Amino acid sequence: MNVDNEKSQMRKGMLEYCILLLLRKEQAYASDIIKKLKDVHLIVVEGTLYPLLTRMKNDGQLSYEWIESTQGPPRKYYQLTDKGLSVLAELEVSWKELSDTVEQLSN
Amino acid sequence: MKKTLTVNLGGIVYQIDEDAYRLLDNYLNNLRLHFRKEEGADEIMDDMETRISDLFSEKINEHKQVIVAADVEEIIARMGKPEEIESEEDETEQKSADNEKKQRDSTTTDHHNESTTGKRRLYRDPDNRMLGGVASGFGAYLDCDPTWVRLIMIILIFIPYTPIVVAYLIAWLLIPEARTATEKLSMHGEAATVENIGKSVSDGFNRMSEKANDYIDSGKSRSVLRKIVDMLISVAAFLFKAFLVMLVIICFPVLFVLAIVLLALVVVSVSVLFGGGAALLALLPAINWAPLQTFSPMMTVVSSISMVLLVGIPLAGVLYAILRQFFHWSVMSTFMKWALLIVWLIALVVFCIGMYHVGGHLPVHCYGGSLFI
Repeated sequence: MNVDNEKSQMRKGMLEYCILLLLRKEQAYASDIIKKLKDVHLIVVEGTLYPLLTRMKNDGQLSYEWIESTQGPPRKYYQLTDKGLSVLAELEVSWKELSDTVEQLSN
Repeated sequence: MKKTLTVNLGGIVYQIDEDAYRLLDNYLNNLRLHFRKEEGADEIMDDMETRISDLFSEKINEHKQVIVAADVEEIIARMGKPEEIESEEDETEQKSADNEKKQRDSTTTDHHNESTTGKRRLYRDPDNRMLGGVASGFGAYLDCDPTWVRLIMIILIFIPYTPIVVAYLIAWLLIPEARTATEKLSMHGEAATVENIGKSVSDGFNRMSEKANDYIDSGKSRSVLRKIVDMLISVAAFLFKAFLVMLVIICFPVLFVLAIVLLALVVVSVSVLFGGGAALLALLPAINWAPLQTFSPMMTVVSSISMVLLVGIPLAGVLYAILRQFFHWSVMSTFMKWALLIVWLIALVVFCIGMYHVGGHLPVHCYGGSLFI
Protein backbone atom coordinates (compact mmCIF):
# COMPACT_ATOMS: atom_id res chain seq x y z
CA MET A 1 0.00 0.00 0.00
CA ASN A 2 1.12 3.48 -0.88
CA VAL A 3 1.02 5.91 2.05
CA ASP A 4 1.14 9.05 -0.11
CA ASN A 5 -1.73 7.79 -2.19
CA GLU A 6 -3.69 7.05 0.98
CA LYS A 7 -3.07 10.53 2.31
CA SER A 8 -4.14 12.21 -0.90
CA GLN A 9 -7.29 10.07 -1.00
CA MET A 10 -8.12 11.23 2.54
CA ARG A 11 -7.59 14.87 1.62
CA LYS A 12 -9.68 14.47 -1.49
CA GLY A 13 -12.58 13.06 0.48
CA MET A 14 -12.40 15.99 2.86
CA LEU A 15 -12.05 18.71 0.27
CA GLU A 16 -15.70 19.07 -0.71
CA TYR A 17 -16.79 19.13 2.94
CA CYS A 18 -14.21 21.81 3.73
CA ILE A 19 -15.27 24.01 0.83
CA LEU A 20 -18.87 23.83 2.05
CA LEU A 21 -17.70 24.70 5.58
CA LEU A 22 -15.71 27.70 4.33
CA LEU A 23 -18.63 29.02 2.32
CA ARG A 24 -21.17 28.61 5.13
CA LYS A 25 -19.94 31.74 6.90
CA GLU A 26 -19.64 34.05 3.92
CA GLN A 27 -19.50 34.09 0.16
CA ALA A 28 -15.99 33.96 -1.22
CA TYR A 29 -13.84 34.52 -4.28
CA ALA A 30 -12.02 31.45 -5.63
CA SER A 31 -8.63 32.93 -4.75
CA ASP A 32 -9.75 33.42 -1.13
CA ILE A 33 -10.85 29.79 -0.93
CA ILE A 34 -7.50 28.70 -2.39
CA LYS A 35 -5.60 30.76 0.15
CA LYS A 36 -7.49 29.29 3.11
CA LEU A 37 -7.20 25.71 1.84
CA LYS A 38 -3.48 26.15 1.12
CA ASP A 39 -2.88 27.54 4.58
CA VAL A 40 -4.13 24.30 6.09
CA HIS A 41 -2.34 22.14 3.44
CA LEU A 42 -5.54 20.67 2.10
CA ILE A 43 -4.59 21.29 -1.50
CA VAL A 44 -1.16 21.06 -3.09
CA VAL A 45 -1.81 22.54 -6.52
CA GLU A 46 -4.36 25.26 -7.05
CA GLY A 47 -5.71 23.76 -10.25
CA THR A 48 -7.49 21.06 -8.23
CA LEU A 49 -10.04 23.51 -6.87
CA TYR A 50 -11.52 24.77 -10.14
CA PRO A 51 -12.95 21.52 -11.53
CA LEU A 52 -14.35 20.81 -8.07
CA LEU A 53 -16.07 24.21 -7.76
CA THR A 54 -17.59 23.83 -11.23
CA ARG A 55 -18.74 20.30 -10.43
CA MET A 56 -20.37 21.44 -7.18
CA LYS A 57 -22.00 24.37 -8.96
CA ASN A 58 -23.38 22.07 -11.68
CA ASP A 59 -24.69 19.80 -8.96
CA GLY A 60 -26.61 22.73 -7.46
CA GLN A 61 -24.68 22.93 -4.17
CA LEU A 62 -23.11 26.26 -5.02
CA SER A 63 -24.12 29.35 -6.91
CA TYR A 64 -22.13 32.44 -7.77
CA GLU A 65 -22.62 36.09 -8.50
CA TRP A 66 -20.38 38.61 -10.20
CA ILE A 67 -19.17 41.34 -7.88
CA GLU A 68 -17.28 44.42 -9.07
CA SER A 69 -13.68 44.59 -7.97
CA THR A 70 -11.43 47.54 -7.38
CA GLN A 71 -8.54 45.84 -9.21
CA GLY A 72 -9.67 44.70 -12.62
CA PRO A 73 -12.68 42.86 -13.98
CA PRO A 74 -15.63 41.66 -11.86
CA ARG A 75 -15.02 38.55 -9.76
CA LYS A 76 -17.03 35.40 -9.27
CA TYR A 77 -18.14 35.05 -5.65
CA TYR A 78 -19.37 31.62 -4.65
CA GLN A 79 -22.06 30.96 -2.04
CA LEU A 80 -24.02 28.00 -0.70
CA THR A 81 -27.47 27.13 -2.02
CA ASP A 82 -30.19 25.36 -0.05
CA LYS A 83 -29.05 22.10 -1.53
CA GLY A 84 -25.50 22.92 -0.49
CA LEU A 85 -26.68 23.52 3.05
CA SER A 86 -28.48 20.17 3.23
CA VAL A 87 -25.44 18.36 1.75
CA LEU A 88 -23.30 20.08 4.36
CA ALA A 89 -25.65 18.93 7.12
CA GLU A 90 -25.40 15.32 5.87
CA LEU A 91 -21.64 15.47 5.58
CA GLU A 92 -21.38 16.91 9.08
CA VAL A 93 -23.27 13.94 10.49
CA SER A 94 -21.11 11.41 8.70
CA TRP A 95 -17.92 13.30 9.61
CA LYS A 96 -19.00 13.23 13.26
CA GLU A 97 -19.55 9.49 13.05
CA LEU A 98 -16.21 8.95 11.34
CA SER A 99 -14.23 11.02 13.80
CA ASP A 100 -16.01 9.34 16.73
CA THR A 101 -15.12 5.93 15.32
CA VAL A 102 -11.49 6.91 14.80
CA GLU A 103 -11.40 8.43 18.29
CA GLN A 104 -12.76 5.25 19.82
CA LEU A 105 -10.39 2.99 17.91
CA SER A 106 -7.33 5.02 18.77
CA ASN A 107 -8.10 4.98 22.48
CA MET B 1 16.78 40.93 -26.85
CA LYS B 2 13.41 39.21 -26.94
CA LYS B 3 10.22 39.67 -28.83
CA THR B 4 7.13 40.27 -26.71
CA LEU B 5 3.48 39.62 -27.39
CA THR B 6 0.37 41.23 -26.04
CA VAL B 7 -2.20 38.85 -24.59
CA ASN B 8 -5.62 39.29 -23.06
CA LEU B 9 -5.91 36.98 -20.09
CA GLY B 10 -9.12 37.05 -18.11
CA GLY B 11 -9.90 40.54 -19.35
CA ILE B 12 -6.53 42.13 -18.50
CA VAL B 13 -3.82 42.90 -21.05
CA TYR B 14 -0.27 41.68 -20.43
CA GLN B 15 3.03 42.00 -22.21
CA ILE B 16 4.62 38.57 -22.38
CA ASP B 17 7.91 37.22 -23.82
CA GLU B 18 7.56 34.97 -26.82
CA ASP B 19 8.99 31.86 -25.10
CA ALA B 20 6.84 32.50 -22.03
CA TYR B 21 3.83 32.84 -24.30
CA ARG B 22 4.52 29.51 -25.98
CA LEU B 23 4.93 27.79 -22.65
CA LEU B 24 1.68 29.26 -21.35
CA ASP B 25 -0.21 28.48 -24.54
CA ASN B 26 1.02 24.89 -24.42
CA TYR B 27 0.03 24.61 -20.77
CA LEU B 28 -3.48 25.97 -21.34
CA ASN B 29 -3.99 23.71 -24.36
CA ASN B 30 -2.99 20.66 -22.37
CA LEU B 31 -5.26 21.67 -19.51
CA ARG B 32 -8.09 21.99 -22.00
CA LEU B 33 -7.26 18.51 -23.26
CA HIS B 34 -7.21 17.25 -19.68
CA PHE B 35 -10.68 18.63 -18.90
CA ARG B 36 -12.21 17.87 -22.29
CA LYS B 37 -14.70 15.32 -20.99
CA GLU B 38 -15.61 17.22 -17.88
CA GLU B 39 -18.97 18.97 -17.80
CA GLY B 40 -18.42 22.74 -17.91
CA ALA B 41 -14.85 22.47 -19.21
CA ASP B 42 -15.02 25.97 -20.68
CA GLU B 43 -16.02 27.41 -17.35
CA ILE B 44 -13.15 25.66 -15.58
CA MET B 45 -10.73 27.02 -18.15
CA ASP B 46 -12.14 30.54 -17.83
CA ASP B 47 -11.79 30.42 -14.06
CA MET B 48 -8.23 29.13 -14.28
CA GLU B 49 -7.31 31.82 -16.78
CA THR B 50 -8.73 34.42 -14.41
CA ARG B 51 -6.61 32.97 -11.62
CA ILE B 52 -3.47 33.00 -13.76
CA SER B 53 -4.30 36.59 -14.66
CA ASP B 54 -4.48 37.44 -10.93
CA LEU B 55 -1.12 35.78 -10.34
CA PHE B 56 0.39 37.67 -13.28
CA SER B 57 -0.78 40.98 -11.91
CA GLU B 58 1.16 40.21 -8.72
CA LYS B 59 4.30 39.76 -10.87
CA ILE B 60 3.96 43.09 -12.61
CA ASN B 61 5.06 46.37 -11.10
CA GLU B 62 6.53 49.66 -12.21
CA HIS B 63 10.00 48.19 -12.67
CA LYS B 64 8.97 44.92 -14.23
CA GLN B 65 6.49 45.19 -17.02
CA VAL B 66 6.91 41.95 -18.96
CA ILE B 67 5.96 38.39 -18.02
CA VAL B 68 8.98 36.11 -18.56
CA ALA B 69 9.26 32.33 -18.88
CA ALA B 70 10.36 31.95 -15.25
CA ASP B 71 7.11 33.62 -14.10
CA VAL B 72 5.07 31.21 -16.21
CA GLU B 73 7.04 28.23 -14.91
CA GLU B 74 6.44 29.35 -11.34
CA ILE B 75 2.73 29.76 -11.98
CA ILE B 76 2.48 26.35 -13.67
CA ALA B 77 4.14 24.81 -10.61
CA ARG B 78 1.61 26.63 -8.43
CA MET B 79 -1.47 25.75 -10.49
CA GLY B 80 -0.29 22.21 -11.14
CA LYS B 81 0.52 20.25 -14.28
CA PRO B 82 -2.41 18.38 -15.82
CA GLU B 83 -1.26 15.09 -14.30
CA GLU B 84 -1.33 16.64 -10.83
CA ILE B 85 -4.87 17.92 -11.20
CA GLU B 86 -7.47 15.28 -10.71
CA SER B 87 -10.57 15.04 -12.77
CA GLU B 88 -13.37 12.50 -12.69
CA GLU B 89 -12.36 10.95 -15.96
CA ASP B 90 -8.86 10.58 -14.60
CA GLU B 91 -9.88 8.09 -11.96
CA THR B 92 -11.64 5.80 -14.37
CA GLU B 93 -8.74 6.08 -16.77
CA GLN B 94 -6.32 5.17 -14.06
CA LYS B 95 -8.42 2.19 -13.06
CA SER B 96 -8.62 0.88 -16.59
CA ALA B 97 -4.90 1.47 -17.02
CA ASP B 98 -4.29 -0.52 -13.84
CA ASN B 99 -6.49 -3.35 -15.09
CA GLU B 100 -4.75 -3.38 -18.43
CA LYS B 101 -1.41 -3.49 -16.71
CA LYS B 102 -2.51 -6.40 -14.58
CA GLN B 103 -3.76 -8.27 -17.63
CA ARG B 104 -0.57 -7.58 -19.47
CA ASP B 105 1.52 -8.74 -16.58
CA SER B 106 -0.45 -11.95 -16.25
CA THR B 107 -0.53 -12.82 -19.94
CA THR B 108 2.95 -11.84 -20.98
CA THR B 109 6.18 -12.45 -19.20
CA ASP B 110 8.30 -9.87 -20.97
CA HIS B 111 8.20 -6.36 -19.57
CA HIS B 112 8.20 -3.40 -21.85
CA ASN B 113 9.66 -0.09 -21.01
CA GLU B 114 6.98 1.72 -19.00
CA SER B 115 6.91 4.89 -21.04
CA THR B 116 6.79 3.17 -24.43
CA THR B 117 3.99 0.68 -23.89
CA GLY B 118 1.68 2.41 -26.40
CA LYS B 119 1.26 1.08 -29.90
CA ARG B 120 3.39 2.88 -32.46
CA ARG B 121 1.33 4.42 -35.21
CA LEU B 122 2.27 5.85 -38.57
CA TYR B 123 1.70 9.59 -38.93
CA ARG B 124 3.28 12.34 -40.95
CA ASP B 125 5.53 14.34 -38.66
CA PRO B 126 4.96 18.08 -39.15
CA ASP B 127 7.78 19.07 -36.76
CA ASN B 128 10.67 17.55 -38.72
CA ARG B 129 9.34 17.70 -42.21
CA MET B 130 11.18 18.60 -45.41
CA LEU B 131 8.17 18.27 -47.71
CA GLY B 132 5.11 16.49 -46.42
CA GLY B 133 6.58 14.88 -43.32
CA VAL B 134 6.32 11.39 -44.81
CA ALA B 135 9.99 10.48 -44.35
CA SER B 136 10.15 11.88 -40.82
CA GLY B 137 6.93 10.01 -40.03
CA PHE B 138 8.44 6.75 -41.27
CA GLY B 139 11.60 7.57 -39.33
CA ALA B 140 9.57 7.93 -36.12
CA TYR B 141 7.63 4.78 -36.94
CA LEU B 142 10.76 2.71 -37.58
CA ASP B 143 12.58 4.47 -34.73
CA CYS B 144 15.49 5.62 -36.88
CA ASP B 145 16.88 8.91 -38.15
CA PRO B 146 14.63 10.27 -40.95
CA THR B 147 17.80 11.26 -42.86
CA TRP B 148 18.32 7.61 -43.78
CA VAL B 149 14.72 7.28 -45.01
CA ARG B 150 15.20 10.39 -47.14
CA LEU B 151 18.51 9.15 -48.50
CA ILE B 152 16.95 5.83 -49.54
CA MET B 153 14.05 7.69 -51.19
CA ILE B 154 16.42 9.90 -53.19
CA ILE B 155 18.49 6.88 -54.29
CA LEU B 156 15.26 5.15 -55.37
CA ILE B 157 14.39 8.08 -57.65
CA PHE B 158 17.44 7.29 -59.78
CA ILE B 159 16.65 3.59 -60.06
CA PRO B 160 14.26 3.03 -62.98
CA TYR B 161 10.93 1.25 -62.56
CA THR B 162 10.53 2.19 -58.90
CA PRO B 163 7.52 4.51 -58.66
CA ILE B 164 8.87 6.25 -55.56
CA VAL B 165 7.45 9.65 -56.51
CA VAL B 166 3.97 8.22 -56.96
CA ALA B 167 4.37 6.19 -53.76
CA TYR B 168 5.43 9.34 -51.90
CA LEU B 169 2.43 11.29 -53.18
CA ILE B 170 0.04 8.48 -52.27
CA ALA B 171 1.63 8.22 -48.82
CA TRP B 172 1.29 11.99 -48.42
CA LEU B 173 -2.40 11.76 -49.31
CA LEU B 174 -3.22 8.71 -47.22
CA ILE B 175 -1.14 9.07 -44.07
CA PRO B 176 -2.70 11.55 -41.62
CA GLU B 177 -0.63 14.31 -40.06
CA ALA B 178 0.11 14.12 -36.33
CA ARG B 179 -1.61 17.25 -35.01
CA THR B 180 -2.52 16.73 -31.37
CA ALA B 181 -0.23 15.84 -28.49
CA THR B 182 -1.85 12.39 -28.35
CA GLU B 183 -1.10 11.69 -32.00
CA LYS B 184 2.46 12.90 -31.66
CA LEU B 185 2.97 10.65 -28.67
CA SER B 186 1.60 7.59 -30.43
CA MET B 187 3.75 8.43 -33.45
CA HIS B 188 6.75 7.79 -31.22
CA GLY B 189 5.03 4.81 -29.65
CA GLU B 190 4.40 6.39 -26.27
CA ALA B 191 1.14 5.67 -24.51
CA ALA B 192 -1.15 8.69 -24.56
CA THR B 193 -1.73 8.88 -20.84
CA VAL B 194 -2.43 12.10 -19.06
CA GLU B 195 1.03 11.90 -17.47
CA ASN B 196 2.75 11.70 -20.85
CA ILE B 197 0.69 14.54 -22.25
CA GLY B 198 1.59 16.58 -19.21
CA LYS B 199 5.23 15.63 -19.70
CA SER B 200 5.10 16.82 -23.29
CA VAL B 201 4.13 20.27 -22.03
CA SER B 202 7.41 20.74 -20.24
CA ASP B 203 9.28 18.63 -22.82
CA GLY B 204 8.08 20.95 -25.54
CA PHE B 205 9.60 23.84 -23.70
CA ASN B 206 12.89 22.03 -23.05
CA ARG B 207 13.09 20.91 -26.64
CA MET B 208 12.52 24.46 -27.79
CA SER B 209 15.48 25.78 -25.85
CA GLU B 210 17.57 22.73 -26.86
CA LYS B 211 16.74 23.37 -30.47
CA ALA B 212 18.00 26.92 -30.17
CA ASN B 213 21.23 25.61 -28.66
CA ASP B 214 21.52 22.98 -31.37
CA TYR B 215 21.25 25.66 -33.94
CA ILE B 216 24.07 27.62 -32.39
CA ASP B 217 26.23 24.54 -31.79
CA SER B 218 25.44 22.90 -35.11
CA GLY B 219 28.84 23.81 -36.54
CA LYS B 220 30.59 21.70 -33.91
CA SER B 221 28.29 18.75 -33.32
CA ARG B 222 27.33 17.87 -36.89
CA SER B 223 29.87 16.16 -39.09
CA VAL B 224 30.73 17.51 -42.53
CA LEU B 225 29.25 14.45 -44.22
CA ARG B 226 26.01 14.90 -42.33
CA LYS B 227 25.84 18.54 -43.37
CA ILE B 228 26.38 17.66 -47.03
CA VAL B 229 23.65 15.04 -46.85
CA ASP B 230 21.31 17.53 -45.19
CA MET B 231 22.02 20.07 -47.88
CA LEU B 232 21.46 17.56 -50.68
CA ILE B 233 18.16 16.58 -49.14
CA SER B 234 16.97 20.18 -48.91
CA VAL B 235 17.95 20.74 -52.56
CA ALA B 236 16.07 17.59 -53.58
CA ALA B 237 13.04 18.68 -51.54
CA PHE B 238 13.11 22.09 -53.21
CA LEU B 239 13.28 20.55 -56.71
CA PHE B 240 10.44 18.21 -55.86
CA LYS B 241 8.33 21.09 -54.62
CA ALA B 242 9.04 23.04 -57.82
CA PHE B 243 8.10 19.95 -59.82
CA LEU B 244 4.78 19.69 -57.97
CA VAL B 245 3.98 23.36 -58.57
CA MET B 246 4.76 22.94 -62.29
CA LEU B 247 2.58 19.86 -62.39
CA VAL B 248 -0.34 21.77 -60.88
CA ILE B 249 0.09 24.64 -63.35
CA ILE B 250 0.26 22.28 -66.32
CA CYS B 251 -2.61 20.17 -65.09
CA PHE B 252 -4.98 23.01 -64.42
CA PRO B 253 -6.39 23.29 -68.01
CA VAL B 254 -6.38 19.51 -68.22
CA LEU B 255 -8.40 19.33 -65.01
CA PHE B 256 -10.86 21.83 -66.46
CA VAL B 257 -11.35 19.71 -69.58
CA LEU B 258 -11.64 16.59 -67.46
CA ALA B 259 -14.37 18.24 -65.40
CA ILE B 260 -16.40 18.89 -68.54
CA VAL B 261 -15.83 15.32 -69.75
CA LEU B 262 -16.90 14.04 -66.37
CA LEU B 263 -20.11 16.05 -66.50
CA ALA B 264 -20.88 14.65 -69.95
CA LEU B 265 -20.13 11.14 -68.76
CA VAL B 266 -22.43 11.51 -65.80
CA VAL B 267 -25.24 12.59 -68.14
CA VAL B 268 -24.50 9.65 -70.42
CA SER B 269 -24.37 7.06 -67.68
CA VAL B 270 -27.53 8.36 -66.03
CA SER B 271 -29.38 8.24 -69.31
CA VAL B 272 -28.06 4.74 -69.97
CA LEU B 273 -29.21 3.63 -66.56
CA PHE B 274 -32.66 5.15 -66.69
CA GLY B 275 -33.54 5.82 -70.29
CA GLY B 276 -31.79 2.92 -71.88
CA GLY B 277 -29.98 2.92 -75.18
CA ALA B 278 -32.68 4.78 -77.11
CA ALA B 279 -32.28 7.95 -75.06
CA LEU B 280 -28.54 7.73 -75.47
CA LEU B 281 -28.79 7.39 -79.21
CA ALA B 282 -31.06 10.41 -79.30
CA LEU B 283 -28.71 12.37 -77.08
CA LEU B 284 -25.49 11.67 -78.94
CA PRO B 285 -26.43 10.74 -82.48
CA ALA B 286 -22.98 11.61 -83.79
CA ILE B 287 -21.41 8.66 -82.04
CA ASN B 288 -21.69 5.29 -83.69
CA TRP B 289 -22.84 3.06 -80.84
CA ALA B 290 -23.21 -0.04 -83.03
CA PRO B 291 -20.11 -1.87 -81.80
CA LEU B 292 -21.10 -1.32 -78.22
CA GLN B 293 -24.66 -2.46 -78.79
CA THR B 294 -23.50 -5.81 -80.08
CA PHE B 295 -22.27 -6.66 -76.58
CA SER B 296 -24.39 -7.18 -73.54
CA PRO B 297 -25.91 -3.88 -72.40
CA MET B 298 -24.63 -4.81 -68.95
CA MET B 299 -21.05 -4.40 -70.15
CA THR B 300 -21.77 -0.93 -71.50
CA VAL B 301 -23.37 0.20 -68.28
CA VAL B 302 -20.58 -1.22 -66.13
CA SER B 303 -17.90 0.31 -68.33
CA SER B 304 -19.57 3.70 -68.25
CA ILE B 305 -19.88 3.67 -64.49
CA SER B 306 -16.27 2.60 -64.03
CA MET B 307 -15.20 5.32 -66.43
CA VAL B 308 -17.05 7.94 -64.39
CA LEU B 309 -15.46 6.68 -61.19
CA LEU B 310 -12.04 6.51 -62.79
CA VAL B 311 -12.11 10.17 -63.76
CA GLY B 312 -14.43 11.38 -61.04
CA ILE B 313 -12.63 10.21 -57.91
CA PRO B 314 -9.29 11.97 -58.56
CA LEU B 315 -11.15 15.04 -59.78
CA ALA B 316 -13.40 15.13 -56.75
CA GLY B 317 -10.34 14.62 -54.54
CA VAL B 318 -8.48 17.54 -56.10
CA LEU B 319 -11.60 19.72 -55.97
CA TYR B 320 -12.11 18.82 -52.32
CA ALA B 321 -8.50 19.68 -51.52
CA ILE B 322 -8.78 23.05 -53.27
CA LEU B 323 -12.19 23.98 -51.85
CA ARG B 324 -11.08 22.90 -48.39
CA GLN B 325 -8.63 25.80 -48.36
CA PHE B 326 -11.43 28.30 -48.96
CA PHE B 327 -14.22 26.88 -46.84
CA HIS B 328 -12.16 25.42 -43.97
CA TRP B 329 -13.65 21.96 -44.33
CA SER B 330 -12.21 19.21 -42.20
CA VAL B 331 -9.61 16.83 -43.59
CA MET B 332 -10.93 13.70 -45.27
CA SER B 333 -10.82 10.73 -42.92
CA THR B 334 -8.23 8.04 -43.52
CA PHE B 335 -10.95 5.44 -43.94
CA MET B 336 -12.56 7.57 -46.65
CA LYS B 337 -9.25 7.97 -48.46
CA TRP B 338 -8.59 4.24 -48.47
CA ALA B 339 -12.14 3.46 -49.56
CA LEU B 340 -11.85 5.89 -52.47
CA LEU B 341 -8.47 4.47 -53.51
CA ILE B 342 -9.83 0.92 -53.49
CA VAL B 343 -12.95 1.92 -55.45
CA TRP B 344 -10.72 3.71 -57.94
CA LEU B 345 -8.47 0.67 -58.41
CA ILE B 346 -11.52 -1.57 -58.91
CA ALA B 347 -12.92 0.89 -61.45
CA LEU B 348 -9.56 0.88 -63.24
CA VAL B 349 -9.53 -2.91 -63.50
CA VAL B 350 -13.16 -3.10 -64.62
CA PHE B 351 -12.62 -0.37 -67.16
CA CYS B 352 -9.55 -2.09 -68.59
CA ILE B 353 -11.46 -5.38 -68.92
CA GLY B 354 -14.39 -3.60 -70.57
CA MET B 355 -12.14 -1.76 -72.99
CA TYR B 356 -10.31 -4.96 -73.86
CA HIS B 357 -13.60 -6.62 -74.81
CA VAL B 358 -14.89 -3.66 -76.78
CA GLY B 359 -11.58 -2.65 -78.22
CA GLY B 360 -10.88 -6.10 -79.60
CA HIS B 361 -13.91 -5.86 -81.82
CA LEU B 362 -13.87 -2.19 -82.69
CA PRO B 363 -13.90 -1.33 -86.32
CA VAL B 364 -11.17 1.12 -87.22
CA HIS B 365 -13.53 3.91 -88.24
CA CYS B 366 -15.63 3.72 -85.09
CA TYR B 367 -16.35 7.11 -83.54
CA GLY B 368 -17.14 5.53 -80.23
CA GLY B 369 -13.59 4.31 -79.92
CA SER B 370 -12.15 7.78 -80.08
CA LEU B 371 -14.25 8.80 -77.11
CA PHE B 372 -12.75 6.18 -74.92
CA ILE B 373 -9.18 5.91 -76.08
